[in-house]
Amino acid sequence: MKTCRLISLAAAGSLVAVVFSPAFAAEAGDPVAGKAKTSMCIGCHGISGYKTVFPEVYHVPKLGGQHAAYIVKALQEYKAEKRSHPSMRAIAAGLSDKDMADLAAYYAADPARAAAK
Amino acid sequence: MNKLILAVCLTLPLSLPAFAGDPEAGQRKSQPCVACHGPDGNSTSAEFPKLAGQHYDYLVKAINDYKASARKSPIMAPMVEKLTVRDIEDLAAYYSSRKGLVLKY
Repeated sequence: MKTCRLISLAAAGSLVAVVFSPAFAAEAGDPVAGKAKTSMCIGCHGISGYKTVFPEVYHVPKLGGQHAAYIVKALQEYKAEKRSHPSMRAIAAGLSDKDMADLAAYYAADPARAAAK
Repeated sequence: MNKLILAVCLTLPLSLPAFAGDPEAGQRKSQPCVACHGPDGNSTSAEFPKLAGQHYDYLVKAINDYKASARKSPIMAPMVEKLTVRDIEDLAAYYSSRKGLVLKY
């Protein structure tokens, strides 16, 4: 009986460890929560043909259908000041890991499949 | 003779494409990119970005940033090291012409 209780305690403990481990949190983006966080993104990434004008002029990249892991990596690089765009650095600086995962999950979701739902 | 030169000068810009890049040449030059970015720029591996359908000028900027070490990647740096301006424009023309990424609000 005592062994049984010990085993269930250990099982519960490892479940808690999995749920709260950073690796798990990094992968668990919620696309619905992500959509609610896009207000800072849509002014540039949501406008067809929009160009950034500072410090260079070029079309802002399309995000729809991009891999979530790549979007998270890009945001983390802006936050760590490893990528240079001033606006993106400022925006990424205010994002938590969870915000990044949610935004990435939203933009990565297949638009055709999402529309069919 | 002067009229002929004038005519050539006036019509020459009309024969140039909107972008300098040639997508067919870009496809031929994209062989080293396929392993990570997929045969048409729709990579299947989540760590490598999809390029298909991305904006032409953003792709040119990204490659130039890697070349100038403004963007640092141990994978991309040696890949773009020897690309000419023409190569970069051709590759960008090819990937931007493929179906893939979309604008999402």
